[in-house]
Amino acid sequence: MNLIPVVENQEIFTTDTTCPYCGVGCGVTVSQSDTHVKVSGDQEHPANAGRLCVKGSALHETIDLEGRLLQPIVDGKSSTWNSALSKVADHFRKTIEQHGPDSVAFYLSGQLLTEDYYIANKLMKGFIGSANIDTNSRLCMASAVVAHKRAFGADAVPGCYEDLEMADVLFFVGSNAAYAHPIVFQRIAKAKKQRDIKIVVLDPRRTATCDIADLHLPLKAGTDAFFYNGLLVYLADNNKLDGKFLQDHCDGFDEALKVAREQTPTVGVAASLCDVSEMDLLAAYSYFAENDRVVSVFSQGINQSSSGVDKGNALINCHLATGKIGREGATPFSITGQPNAMGGREVGGLANQLAAHMSFEPEDIEVVQSFWNATRMATKEGLKAVDLFDAVLEGKVKAIWIMGTNPVVSMPNANKIKAALEACDMVAVSDCMADTDTTRLADVVFPATTWGEKEGTVTNSERTISLQKSFAKSPGEAKHDWQIIADFAKKLGFVEEFDYQDGSQIFAEHAALSGFKSEYSHKRAFNISQYANINKSDYQRLKPTQWPITTSKNKGTKRLFEDGKFYTENGRAKFIPITARLPKVLPHPNQFVMNTGRIRDQWHTMTRTGKASRLLSHTSEPYVQIHPDDADRLGIQELDLVECTNQDNRYLGKAKISSDQRLGELFIPMHWNSVFASNSRAGALVYDVVDPLCGQPEFKHSPVNISKYISQEQGLLLTTQALEKLPTDYWSKITLDLGNAYYFSDKESQVGWSEWATDTFSEIDDWVVLNGGDGGFRTLGFVENKLRVALLVGKPQQEIAQHHWLASQLGKHIDLEQRFTLLAGAPGDSSKDPGAIVCSCFQIGVNQIKEEINNGVSTVDALGEKLKCGTNCGSCIPELSDLLVNSQ
Amino acid sequence: MKKNLVVIGNGMVTGRFLDELSKFPGHNYQITVISAESSGTYNRIMLSSVLAGDAQFPEIIQKSPEWFTENQVTLRQGEAVVHVNRASKEVVTSKGNHFSYDHLVFATGSRAATIPAANQDLNNIYPFRSVGDTQKILDHADSCASAIVVGGGFLGLEAAWGLAQRGIKVTVIHRSEYILNRQLDKTASQLLQKKLELAGLHFALGTEVEAFQGDNIVQSVKLNNGSQLNCDIAIIATGITHNAELGWQIGLGGTRAIQVDPLMQTCDPNISAIGECAEIDGQTFGLVEPLWQHAKILANKLCAPDIREVNGFLDKPIATKLKISGVQLFSVGKVNANDPSNEITLLDEKAGIYRKLIIEDQKIVGAVLYGDVRSGNWYVDLMCSKTELSNANTMLLFGQEYLAA
Ligand SMILES: Cc1cc2nc3c(=O)[nH]c(=O)nc-3n(C[C@H](O)[C@H](O)[C@H](O)COP(=O)(O)OP(=O)(O)OC[C@H]3O[C@@H](n4cnc5c(N)ncnc54)[C@H](O)[C@@H]3O)c2cc1C
Ligand code: SF4
Repeated sequence: MNLIPVVENQEIFTTDTTCPYCGVGCGVTVSQSDTHVKVSGDQEHPANAGRLCVKGSALHETIDLEGRLLQPIVDGKSSTWNSALSKVADHFRKTIEQHGPDSVAFYLSGQLLTEDYYIANKLMKGFIGSANIDTNSRLCMASAVVAHKRAFGADAVPGCYEDLEMADVLFFVGSNAAYAHPIVFQRIAKAKKQRDIKIVVLDPRRTATCDIADLHLPLKAGTDAFFYNGLLVYLADNNKLDGKFLQDHCDGFDEALKVAREQTPTVGVAASLCDVSEMDLLAAYSYFAENDRVVSVFSQGINQSSSGVDKGNALINCHLATGKIGREGATPFSITGQPNAMGGREVGGLANQLAAHMSFEPEDIEVVQSFWNATRMATKEGLKAVDLFDAVLEGKVKAIWIMGTNPVVSMPNANKIKAALEACDMVAVSDCMADTDTTRLADVVFPATTWGEKEGTVTNSERTISLQKSFAKSPGEAKHDWQIIADFAKKLGFVEEFDYQDGSQIFAEHAALSGFKSEYSHKRAFNISQYANINKSDYQRLKPTQWPITTSKNKGTKRLFEDGKFYTENGRAKFIPITARLPKVLPHPNQFVMNTGRIRDQWHTMTRTGKASRLLSHTSEPYVQIHPDDADRLGIQELDLVECTNQDNRYLGKAKISSDQRLGELFIPMHWNSVFASNSRAGALVYDVVDPLCGQPEFKHSPVNISKYISQEQGLLLTTQALEKLPTDYWSKITLDLGNAYYFSDKESQVGWSEWATDTFSEIDDWVVLNGGDGGFRTLGFVENKLRVALLVGKPQQEIAQHHWLASQLGKHIDLEQRFTLLAGAPGDSSKDPGAIVCSCFQIGVNQIKEEINNGVSTVDALGEKLKCGTNCGSCIPELSDLLVNSQ
Repeated sequence: MKKNLVVIGNGMVTGRFLDELSKFPGHNYQITVISAESSGTYNRIMLSSVLAGDAQFPEIIQKSPEWFTENQVTLRQGEAVVHVNRASKEVVTSKGNHFSYDHLVFATGSRAATIPAANQDLNNIYPFRSVGDTQKILDHADSCASAIVVGGGFLGLEAAWGLAQRGIKVTVIHRSEYILNRQLDKTASQLLQKKLELAGLHFALGTEVEAFQGDNIVQSVKLNNGSQLNCDIAIIATGITHNAELGWQIGLGGTRAIQVDPLMQTCDPNISAIGECAEIDGQTFGLVEPLWQHAKILANKLCAPDIREVNGFLDKPIATKLKISGVQLFSVGKVNANDPSNEITLLDEKAGIYRKLIIEDQKIVGAVLYGDVRSGNWYVDLMCSKTELSNANTMLLFGQEYLAA
């Protein structure tokens, strides 16, 4: 492993930091010596208390420098910081001068640290003068943000992880926590062993989360709000409301119930709308109604929808109606996907927020402007992700800077995003990796530091702010994102306003803003003013704490709304009347509904997790999950390659047949991208329809056509190198401990593989070649007798070996005599290896002869009787005699 | 009264025939073997090893004159049968001796073929067939600097190899474009040629000897491509002529050898023929493996007529090998497919390994293995049993160890 340099040269050096992957936000303890980096769960961290999931525990396998970007790149060539920054700054300045501030944009990421976010937001909204700053959190959290605001008056998650363990009933709504939030899931699984917690999963697909469920409701995709409207009616009709709570703390219940009743007057109607059995629905409703401690964990399954805000509010309505909020084990609980989606929300890194939970109301604008001394303050909302890239395509936004995210893969209608960036005059990208789908389209790429190198705060799903600490030096010329933005701001002329020495100064400023003039309004839930004067050394010892963190609550706040007070104008929670809506684009008769999501071991677009071979061993190729009856009807068999299409876009993946899937629906993992596969970006098939309230796209419901991919040719390539692509319609890449494996297929057999191999690997001149006549072709390339390339091509009906064994031979020195057998793709049965042939008439080998001699055979004739050797032409008799003599 | 069983020739098939007869200890024959050669029964195949110095004459003797005495078999050596009288059922030898027979067996084998070149009677031009030939070649070899071997088949290559081992510069002259053209395809042949060239052999391919030149002793050959090569010794190894004339003279049929039925009987029920002098269904023989069947069938028929080999002689594909140390080579059946898509080939130039299978109608019909001959006999078995193959044909090429799973 290519280790990054360590910070200090001590024997063993440990650092407490946090995991950069999911929104659980586990604490990680890193211990390192000169040669090794090890990670383990931080025993002290409240989120995980020592545990880590498979992604977290492979962190050290992804921190080598392979594939890292170590220098600024301008127009594809290495450059210097000064000229790269000047180039982007000049372009931004000119564009702003000519076309106004709204002609430029930043697109950020929930992977950034709060400090990075803060600086970017401050620059764009306070000094460039536009709110065109949005983030990939738009793709996962925007619905919950607005739902929270509508109901509570602020974007605040009421509960904490502990509530999940204290609940008597847990609803998972559109959440495959087992894969997406493994440690939270493990905590619950453990608690369930100790106490009878009832678990209900609402998900069209049977997921791994259902493994611990008492009830799985495979409701029809997109019908969650009908479920909750039905529940609200059921609660009212069965006297399960908390009248006092409604009376004292809520507004708008009657209207909400009335609207719900119009859609779902009875449980029967709700059941048929959700396409589940009435019995099951009743069971779920009574779990909710009969128990006091109920937590509803909701996530992308309802957020990623064209009516995601409404779904969130329909769910929250039921919690309010029963007073199941602000108490131990009773709360709605939005769980975030990304490690710092919450932090981004807190600093206001979204186009429709200002900063520190303030919005674009005149009062708020003034507060922020005066705090920042802003020279050019944005005064209205900017473009949200989907609209933002549309504006890029239309040429309205002429310069964009993308930080720490890969929208060409992750955005809906991802091919359009690609076209937009191709058309844009200035695309700047900051990333830690050199080659991503997005850096491929950039004019300027800035090398950013990544986990382990950068330092700053993150906020997890339960409002806990933790410090992600650095333990390694920045490699090459990489800089922290906040530094890059600050340097850029200085180039634009904002020298004093962006003069920060380290992250602690930024954090302190952010904390100060959160408390600045906060007394004028109830609305600002987010307040960490306790840290307004934090110094560097306290900052570096920051203990995980849940906000609000103020002088009166200096240990943080576990639960919100315990006093029944909300952040609305009148302090009362709001019921939102919900008319449930089906997804916007509905499938034609022969179409399927595509749902997308995570798999267990990958993170986002795989730029980091794709580097660890063991994270690709659970699921190694892009796939499409389909119900057995659907597969049957379409003649699709397990692991057949299938093609999904809509609107000229396509996705190729291997069929996984499973009755976990509903009839007529498909599941496709979201991670694959052009670096890892030719045509397997789920995002390409997602319609860019969004929720009108929050702009979040409908990722969970895209009508697609599916058919079996009729291939003429398929194969496996193993190489110690990484290739940008293969010359086939389908290929997918799998990272190995050494090198990469590629599986591929094509509708035509048009590649001359022999020439392709010698051209692609032109430094190799030692090849072993197998021609199968009927199109089968296999070859091995060696350099100094070490295996460098193995290529196995066959007709579809010809079996191509699994890559594991052959992959283990890459880079190894291979015996000249045996090496052709590697082309078999698997080891032979060595017990049948006769050894060097002695008797060529009967092909009796030295191993067989020695075995007989060991068994006591002592003459040439006896050997002949046993093995026939020497009994035909007799020419081997001298050799047989020698063997007998030598082994006596 | 025992019956007289007379065998003409004491070559390899005779040796095996005597072994097969001895499996019937109580048989009712008085056996007489009449041999033109004088070295007992020896392993002719091993003459190549003797020439190469890997074996000595005494080691290749399989049945010495003492064996014959001990086993009460009459052996007349250095005495050729010159005439057979079918009516009186007796044979006459070159020494004028008469032997009467109840049953007569022809096992006269074959001799080296001659070539249509001028001056083949010059001294130091030898065939390579018998102990006598080999002895003469070895006697001269010490004083030779350069040699010519005519014929790039197995025999020629083994002879050339043997001479080269003695430090002689050898050139193989072969009519075809590549050596071993009946057993190998071009790729395998070229790999072999490269290997032999590295070991010091030279080749003149696609050409024939027009004439030997020299007074009395051969000094050079003139080739039909116009060139000329000097030599101190020349060996002709272009093929064999079956020793069938004696049989034909007395009216036994056959076109290239003596015609027999699958039970080895000629048109005369008292006369059989086995070994290279026999012809079954128009087919003649040049390798030992089928001869072992001949020997067994005839012995069974004579001694235990009731347990005859089922159906008599069965034609089976035979694999050929080259007895040159360090060369692994195995070839059976077809060498080239009519349709190249029926061939699976594997080539590792650096390791010097080439393997090819020819599969037609889902059955193996030929195999050429060079450098690594694993599973050769398995292919022969699959070929003999006409086993229908599945789709995993490519895997066959790696050998038996790779197909079980
Ligand atoms: C150098 C060399 C290498 C070989 N290598 C191989 C090999 O690797 N594998 C393989 O399968 N085969 C090989 N062969 C071929 C193999 O030796 C013959 O197939 C085999 O010897 C034939 O046996 P046979 O008994 O039919 O004839 P022979 O062995 O030729 O015996 C016939 C005998 O009959 C004698 N004879 C002929 N006419 C008369 C007569 N009128 N009266 C008395 N005696 C007579 C001959 O002098 C001879 O001694 C090789 C041959 C040679 C010369
Ligand atoms: S659960 Fe999430 S935060 Fe915790 S280790 Fe796994 S990926 Fe990291």
